[in-house]
Amino acid sequence: MTISGVSGRTSYIGSGITSLRDQLDTLTQQLSSGKVSNTYAGQGSGRSLAIALRAQISNVAAYADTAVNLNTRIGVANLSLQRLVAIGSEVKGAAVSAGSNFDNTGQTPGQKTASLDFYDSVDMLNAKSGDRYLFSGRATDTAPVAPADQIMNGNGAAIAGLKQVISERNQADLGASGMGHMLLSQPTTTSVQIGEDFAADPTATPPVAATPFGLKLNAISTTITGATVTQPTATPPATTPPSPLAMSVDLGATNPKDGDQIKFTFNLPDGTTEDIVLTASSATPTPAGSFAIDPGQPNATPPVAPSSAVTAANLNTALTSAVKSLANGPLVAASSIQAGNEFFDQPPMRVQGSPASAATSLVAGTAANTVIWYQGEQNTAANGSARGSAISQIDTSITVQYGARADEQALRSQLQTVAVFAAVAVDPAQLGNATYAKNANAQIAALNQRVAQNLAAVPGQQTIQDIQADFAGAQASIKSTTDRQVQTKAMAQTMLDSIEGINNDEVATKILALQTALQASYQTTSNLYQMSLVKFL
Amino acid sequence: MSLNDALSIAMSGLRANQAAMSLVSSNVANAETPGYIRKSTDQVAVNSGNGSSVRTVGVNRQLDQYIQAQLRTETSGAGYATLRSSFLQQMQSLYGDPGSVGSLEYSFNALTTAVQALSTSADSQSARIGVLNAAQTLAQQLNSMTQGIQNLRGAAENGIKDSVTTANTLMKQIATINNQLTANPQGGTSTDSNTAALLDQRDQYVTQLSQLMDIRVTTNGANQVTIFTGSGVQLVGNEAATLAFNAQGTVSAGTTWSADPSKSNLGSVVIEFPNGGSIDLTATGAIKSGTIAAYTELRDKTLVEAQNQLDQFAGSISSALSDKTTAGSVFPVPTVPPTALPPGTPTGFTLDVSQMKPGNVIHFTYTDTATNTQREISFMRVDDPSVLPLPNTATTNPNDTVIGLDFSSGFGSVLNQLNAALGGQATFSGTAGALTVVNNPAFANINAASVTVTQGPNDLSNGSPELALFTDNGAAYSGGISKNGSQMTGLAGRLTINNGIVADPSKLVVYSGSTAAGDTTRSALLLNQLNNASFTYSPATGTGSATAPFKGTLLSYMRQFVGQQGAAADSAKQLADGQNVVLNTLDKKMADASGVNMDDEMAHLLSLQNAYSANARVMSTVNELYKTLMQAF
Repeated sequence: MTISGVSGRTSYIGSGITSLRDQLDTLTQQLSSGKVSNTYAGQGSGRSLAIALRAQISNVAAYADTAVNLNTRIGVANLSLQRLVAIGSEVKGAAVSAGSNFDNTGQTPGQKTASLDFYDSVDMLNAKSGDRYLFSGRATDTAPVAPADQIMNGNGAAIAGLKQVISERNQADLGASGMGHMLLSQPTTTSVQIGEDFAADPTATPPVAATPFGLKLNAISTTITGATVTQPTATPPATTPPSPLAMSVDLGATNPKDGDQIKFTFNLPDGTTEDIVLTASSATPTPAGSFAIDPGQPNATPPVAPSSAVTAANLNTALTSAVKSLANGPLVAASSIQAGNEFFDQPPMRVQGSPASAATSLVAGTAANTVIWYQGEQNTAANGSARGSAISQIDTSITVQYGARADEQALRSQLQTVAVFAAVAVDPAQLGNATYAKNANAQIAALNQRVAQNLAAVPGQQTIQDIQADFAGAQASIKSTTDRQVQTKAMAQTMLDSIEGINNDEVATKILALQTALQASYQTTSNLYQMSLVKFL
Repeated sequence: MSLNDALSIAMSGLRANQAAMSLVSSNVANAETPGYIRKSTDQVAVNSGNGSSVRTVGVNRQLDQYIQAQLRTETSGAGYATLRSSFLQQMQSLYGDPGSVGSLEYSFNALTTAVQALSTSADSQSARIGVLNAAQTLAQQLNSMTQGIQNLRGAAENGIKDSVTTANTLMKQIATINNQLTANPQGGTSTDSNTAALLDQRDQYVTQLSQLMDIRVTTNGANQVTIFTGSGVQLVGNEAATLAFNAQGTVSAGTTWSADPSKSNLGSVVIEFPNGGSIDLTATGAIKSGTIAAYTELRDKTLVEAQNQLDQFAGSISSALSDKTTAGSVFPVPTVPPTALPPGTPTGFTLDVSQMKPGNVIHFTYTDTATNTQREISFMRVDDPSVLPLPNTATTNPNDTVIGLDFSSGFGSVLNQLNAALGGQATFSGTAGALTVVNNPAFANINAASVTVTQGPNDLSNGSPELALFTDNGAAYSGGISKNGSQMTGLAGRLTINNGIVADPSKLVVYSGSTAAGDTTRSALLLNQLNNASFTYSPATGTGSATAPFKGTLLSYMRQFVGQQGAAADSAKQLADGQNVVLNTLDKKMADASGVNMDDEMAHLLSLQNAYSANARVMSTVNELYKTLMQAF
């Protein structure tokens, strides 16, 4: 700068000194701030690159925050999954090994375990990281699973829980007659026919669908020579529906031999099959699972020859009793399993009509009458994959997926099985009744078996371990990206320092040099003004 | 009577010595007076009888006119360079401390960081508010930078006004002095001492004037100066011309200077001659140096460009988040399973153009079958037919032909305009909601058609993840062109956050009626647009050219213009420093040649003292001689 107001000489010397002072000020500022300049202008030709580097460093910091967040979330979710895996094997073990000793609540010790584990499971699926529910898909602000107690017992009288849904389904499956909707008859004296009590009619308006309730005929077979079996067919024969299905065996004119068997196979509501095998026996008394071969009355006068008609009547009686046992035993277990399946569907399917024992169809439950167990984002094709319901960018072009939904196949199926196991109970007061106790034992044995089976891994179906593997993959991706970013950041920072930073030694040396120069200038200027002829005259 | 001669000669010597002594004293007294030129006596020997007496005919100014002329030129240059550098340094403070709070990049990085956090935790209320705050900060940063730039422009406008006032005063004073000057009645180049003082004063005024503008100075025999502008317009002779400047009170991004006074919102320097008549010096670019030139350049070019850059940045960041480009659906609608169309069937696309806002564009690409060349047409909506036809620079795409579509007369008129523009190549029909364009198979194939629509401030949850996070003072920013110019002009100063989002931050996530709280569709779009998406920027901002406009992410554009401003300020400073070194050197030379050297003066004083004593001695000797003579009689 020029100094005006005084004449040229002073100005020239003064400018030199001012320039030195300016440099000194700049250097002092550099030393105190550690930066070469506090404007873009002073930063030199690297200023544009410096902006990019700072943006990169800022981005890495943002990605690092994301990575920390994600690791926490995945960690929390993983803890839940680990516990769920443990629950799965615990309940499965309890179902396999547990006996059928009912306690005063009508449940076995295995079911007690399941009950505790069910509460635990719900808690696990409602896991949160911060304010974020981890098993709700995108609906991260909604607790995915309804409270365990509501799921079990309903929410007040109007909104049914699992226990009520199971109970209704049990009644519907059992039917009014207590035979699982089976009708037995003897079309001829030597034959026994078993049929369903309800016929579908697709031609009616509106079409009448097959009832989903009760036992369904599957097949019939026999080893009896001369006997004829009729596989399930619409009976009485008719060209058009509705005629309910029935299957039958005709013993023919001759009696079966000892050990000859007839096998009736039934489909149960949960998709399992159960066989009733009746063996022809001449032993007295007739053993369980057998029907008596009519010995005739050789001692009567005149002796009455053994009659296949009488044997058929015996068969009818034995079958009636066996169907009743099946309906009150395994059918109840299968019905409960299926009720659980329907309760955990979206929407939940309920028995339509009252009394439930007369019901013939299902109806979708609503939030007004049934507890909706899952409140999060539905695991449907439209909503995309569960993992894809939480996507985070952890680098410019790397994203990780770590979403989960409580209604994913693996999670839902385990929760459902544990819930049903925990929900089913017999009436402890009636256990004194031998028939009731026998049926109760049959029920719990069938339930144990189904629970153990449903908790086992099925090839081709998702398991909880699959979800854990997905999470592990996401974590590995985060880790490698973070490691790389740490290095990138360090390099960017080094580069940035070389642009906007200073070398302290260099600056200090410069300051020293300037100080000397400034002092010398002051001294010289002073001397210069001293050296005037004025002084010596 | 030679004794008398000797006495009178000695007397003249004493007088001359006294005069010289008084000049020494005035030189010493004024040693530090700016503009003071060392004076010396101009004395001549006068023949008187047998000897020569001495006579002081005037005062010489020890002036080196060559250095003086150079000094004036460089003073203009230094005035220009110093002022420009000082303004650019001030502007640097608007851009802030690199990377620190208060810099544009800091605000931008804070926004991307906040959006990244939102993208990680879309459901988090604090993350949502974080994005709003960061966006608010960025908008305010752009607002305050705009205000800073416009304040500087206002200061430049005032600076011109003050400079013009000063120039007028100086020119009047120079003219006044000119009129007081007369040639030395005693002849020669010297002057009487009064005139010398006037000349010092006048030269000082001329130097001050040269700081304001570049001038040329000629001097006549009577020491009178005539001053011209660098381009040859006379400013001062015996009379001073008057410079007039119609300063404008408020300067904003929208106020621009134009050579046409009826369109100009800013002042021009006009020279008004004493004999009537005037010349617009700003329009003719007559002032090329000095502070007035620097102020004018800053006001009309440098600062305008800086503002354009901010406006472009504001426009790009706003459009990046709010503009949705939808490709047209194929027409005729393909059947399932696909069937071949009969040869020669016109084919094309169907577009929904009903939501277009002014400035939104229908992009249309077709191949001319005759020449097999592909052409891009951009149909831009305008609501003001007076701006038609639009130049091809209305869009930043260098390859397209821009056709303005006047939407103010209903859709039927729009169809007519479309068909008129592309008649023969393609046929447009349908409604605004379903505009169908099909080719004329003999002449053209339509390659693609799409429409870009800006989401309005209220279109927050209509199913589009794009949203108007930023608004133009509450209204949608779509870059429309009206008779007032582009909507982009001054946008950086008007950029605000959409109030609808401030009232309901969940709109940063919820883009349709059924969006879940943790849905990252919208936040991921925001993040991608801010970090990765590439845009094209108008060459009017000083980056890129019309044929190869600058293309890049928002960050790279910001790097570009912030870096450019930094470099400009840096080189302006270097230029100013260099200019000042030159000026200082010339000052020094001038001081050496024309300034007072105290040693010289003192030495001179000694010799004058001796001469005075000697003259006095001569007188006393003459006196003694007289005495001797008297006593002899």
